[in-house]
Amino acid sequence: MPKINLRGVEKNYGANAANAVADLDLEIGDGEFMCLLGPSGCGKTTTLRMIAGLEHLTAGEIRVGPRVVDSVVEGVFVPPEKREMGLVFQSYALWPHLTIERNTDFGLRLRNMPKAEREQRVDKVMKTLGIEKYRDRYPSQLSGGQQQRVALARMLAVNPEVLLLDEPLSNLDAALRLEMRAELKRLHNEFKTTIVFVTHDQWEAMTLATTIAVMSEGQLQQVGTPNDIYDRPANRFVAQFVGNPPINIVELGNAKSEISARAGAFLGERYAELREAGSIGIRPESIRLASEAAEVPEGAFSGQAEVTGILPTGGSWIIELTRAGEKLFMTTHQSPEIEVGEAVAYWAKPKALHVFDTKGDRLEAADRLLRPGKMH
Amino acid sequence: MRPLKGSLAAPTRGQRLRYRLKVALREPTTTIGFLAAALFAYLIVVPIISMLSDAARVQFGDERRIKQDVGELTWYYIERVFTSRVSRDLFWEPLVNTLSVAVGAIALSMLVGGTLAWLLSRTDMFGRRWFSTALIVPYMLPAWTFALAWTTLFKNRTVGGQPGWMESLGFSPPDWLSYGQLPVTIILALHYSPFVILLFGNALRRFDSQLEDSARILGASRLTVARKIIMPLMRPSLISAMVLIFAKCLGEFGVPYVLGLPVNFDVLATSLYQNIASRQVGVGAVLAGSIMLIGIITITIDAKLMKEARRFVTIGSKGSMNRLSPLGIMRLPATGFAVLMFLLSVGLPIATLFLSTIMRVPAQFNLDNFTLEYWIGTDLNTIALQTGILLSPDLWNAAWNSLRIVGVASVTSGILGLLVGYVVVRTPVKPLGTFLRQVTFLPYLVPGIAFAAAYLSLFAVPRGPIPALYGTTLILMLALIADQMPYASRAGIAAMMQLGKDPEEAAQIAGAGWFRRMTSIVIPIQKGSLTTGILLPFISGIKGLSLFVVLAVPSTDVLTTYSLRLVDYHYTQAANAVVLIIAGLAYFGALLGQKLTKTNLAQGLGN
Ligand SMILES: Nc1ncnc2c1ncn2[C@@H]1O[C@H](COP(=O)(O)OP(=O)(O)O)[C@@H](O)[C@H]1O
Ligand SMILES: [Mg+2]
Repeated sequence: MPKINLRGVEKNYGANAANAVADLDLEIGDGEFMCLLGPSGCGKTTTLRMIAGLEHLTAGEIRVGPRVVDSVVEGVFVPPEKREMGLVFQSYALWPHLTIERNTDFGLRLRNMPKAEREQRVDKVMKTLGIEKYRDRYPSQLSGGQQQRVALARMLAVNPEVLLLDEPLSNLDAALRLEMRAELKRLHNEFKTTIVFVTHDQWEAMTLATTIAVMSEGQLQQVGTPNDIYDRPANRFVAQFVGNPPINIVELGNAKSEISARAGAFLGERYAELREAGSIGIRPESIRLASEAAEVPEGAFSGQAEVTGILPTGGSWIIELTRAGEKLFMTTHQSPEIEVGEAVAYWAKPKALHVFDTKGDRLEAADRLLRPGKMH
Repeated sequence: MRPLKGSLAAPTRGQRLRYRLKVALREPTTTIGFLAAALFAYLIVVPIISMLSDAARVQFGDERRIKQDVGELTWYYIERVFTSRVSRDLFWEPLVNTLSVAVGAIALSMLVGGTLAWLLSRTDMFGRRWFSTALIVPYMLPAWTFALAWTTLFKNRTVGGQPGWMESLGFSPPDWLSYGQLPVTIILALHYSPFVILLFGNALRRFDSQLEDSARILGASRLTVARKIIMPLMRPSLISAMVLIFAKCLGEFGVPYVLGLPVNFDVLATSLYQNIASRQVGVGAVLAGSIMLIGIITITIDAKLMKEARRFVTIGSKGSMNRLSPLGIMRLPATGFAVLMFLLSVGLPIATLFLSTIMRVPAQFNLDNFTLEYWIGTDLNTIALQTGILLSPDLWNAAWNSLRIVGVASVTSGILGLLVGYVVVRTPVKPLGTFLRQVTFLPYLVPGIAFAAAYLSLFAVPRGPIPALYGTTLILMLALIADQMPYASRAGIAAMMQLGKDPEEAAQIAGAGWFRRMTSIVIPIQKGSLTTGILLPFISGIKGLSLFVVLAVPSTDVLTTYSLRLVDYHYTQAANAVVLIIAGLAYFGALLGQKLTKTNLAQGLGN
């Protein structure tokens, strides 16, 4: 059963502003770890705040379980304090005048929980998050990572059924981020809470989420598992946003481009149905090298290029290939036995090609042809 | 997992409105906002409109002269002020005097204050820390403390009462030295140079020496650096100091009243006062409107200039450096200059005033000439007072009024300011926030004395359910609250902005309703800024004069108006004693505030 259900949700901040969120339909299942992913300004925070009730809707409705909490048409608005959710702010928003302990038990006191039970609960949460040492300190006496834990503890203490997190890790340094990521995943398993997690970091989304919703300019682009999003991006935006280094896009029908002509010919020769395709995408790790054309496997998409750059990234390499002024990027985990300036042959398996139509949407027909083995 | 698209009908306009209303009225914020908006409209906008309409309507008692009925529209007052035979005395001369005093005071305070600011913030002068507090003290004292000290020293036989010290010592100072433009200009310059020291000094302190160095490395001479790099970056602070001083001079009443009256040297504020005092309501309204207009023009020009100048002002970056210039052999003379300025602007006036209150005959430094009877004596042979000032019930009455009126007004305006800040930051009804912000700013454009005139216009007679308030303490409180609102709401908005929505929203998420959030989150966090927001207006209210002088009657005298009344009776010792008490209250109040809030008073300047 879906835990949270958004239907036709729209948000507009001002009369002459574009929609911050437009016509959003989204289901978040019970116990799911859902990541809202997208570039900065695409409406992720707005969506999260609407779920929490901190922002009202311009149109649409939100349900939590069977209960309508927000609906313009029905004139329903359940205020945030009655939605029983947890929200961790990007800025943490700890109360500066309260100690860590009082920050953590604030929600429990509001619920008039008996003292003994409250203390037990708070102790447990603080221990889980490793902040029990700081119980009598004030927020300003803690480091960013510790504050972040308090912000989490404060919300977990009331054991909300839904936990909303707005880029909670973005203010932490790299090592701490990794640690907190693992911790969040552990908490998710332990508390079985439904989590909605906002981030602009695809890596974070990939590693944490059970489901990812990709947004761009207020529009939902695709919802799916991390693998779905990566292997079958629904459109060029998703393909380009997810993946690092980014996917290579080859526009088709560009008469001046050798790679484009090659790709067009490749599709056209073998798969006549795909002549209407607008572009193809090839992930850098799908591209392989061969020292001469004869070594390219049968049926692969291939071409000639010059190696114009080799960037070691520690354990892997990014190689820049150039052909007639156009570039392709590939990655490899094996030490490349080539030098800058060398001429090479590159190739990719047909099933590694992502084919998009002229509007930029994924051509499902292409998958049936190029990836016959996979079920969809 | 694919969502269903377009599964919901778009809401109708009526549905949207119902939903918006539901969201907006769910919490008291918006309701409070509307109530506050109504209150301020009544306390700020209505008096001003009432006053402006007085300027264009026949006033009671003028029917015969104008040959129209009371309340009819007329050009009479406007013509009288701007074009009639008396317009010169009523408006044009006071205008010229106001402008020349203001310009003179600005120039002089720029010179003195600018030099001191530079010495304090960019050089190795001795005792910079001490001076940076000591040189601000003049602003904590009421401006006419200096005026009274000046008369105590330089008064000549042009007016009655006790002679000045100079006169007693056998020198007869000429009128131009004793009264009028020169002393007014000098005193205002001394009083307002702390603005320059603070504003310009802050800008200098923030100025990054690396900017200077980069230009020098590229081959610019010292002079070019000063002209092309330093001056443009300092301009905003200089402009704000100048505008602030100008606006203050425009409304300054006490100094020109004490020093201008004997030689008929009128500025706009005193001209307005005299017309109000002689019940020339219509003419007073035109004058008040003119003062207001000049205030508005000034602020508008200021806003324009600031917009230009602020574009490229950088606040010191991470690596910013603040290097002190060594003064070399000038180190001692520079320190001497600072000492001199301190003595002139604080030491001399206070000492003079104090000595004058314990001496029977001015400037006679014999031991038997000293007495404490003006403070605590019991049978004095003066008309005004029979006992020493500390034994006079009038003083205690005035002191009690001061504390009560200013206290209530400051607490109220501090709380209202925070509330305005809260509504502005939090209400989903944006126009409400904008209105509140603007309406509470309005009194800033209206010098206190003009604002008092507006209050007089509205509340002098009963209107509807509201009885005539003239002569009550309530009118003083209301006027003071309204007058303090620009600072209070600015402070409140800044505090709420800085706090942001997050802490309160976090409490909301945790399940706290509106009252709970106010009592356990918002107010506790804002405790400090609320204290400052109450104390600063309190201090400026205690030493304020121009608002009270129009609205107070003998039974509602506050300390400032009481001392002015004593000046009018030529009872120098008592007047000076009261001013010293006020100065002491203001000064120690400021110190206390600084201690309590651990802030620097500098931030509250401009109140
Ligand atoms: N309070 C607000 N008022 C006006 N516009 C806003 C407000 N909050 C966000 N926006 C606008 O809405 C869009 C989406 O913002 P946001 O949801 O914060 O994006 P994200 O969290 O994905 O970075 C942006 O264009 C932003 O400028
Ligand atoms: Mg955001």
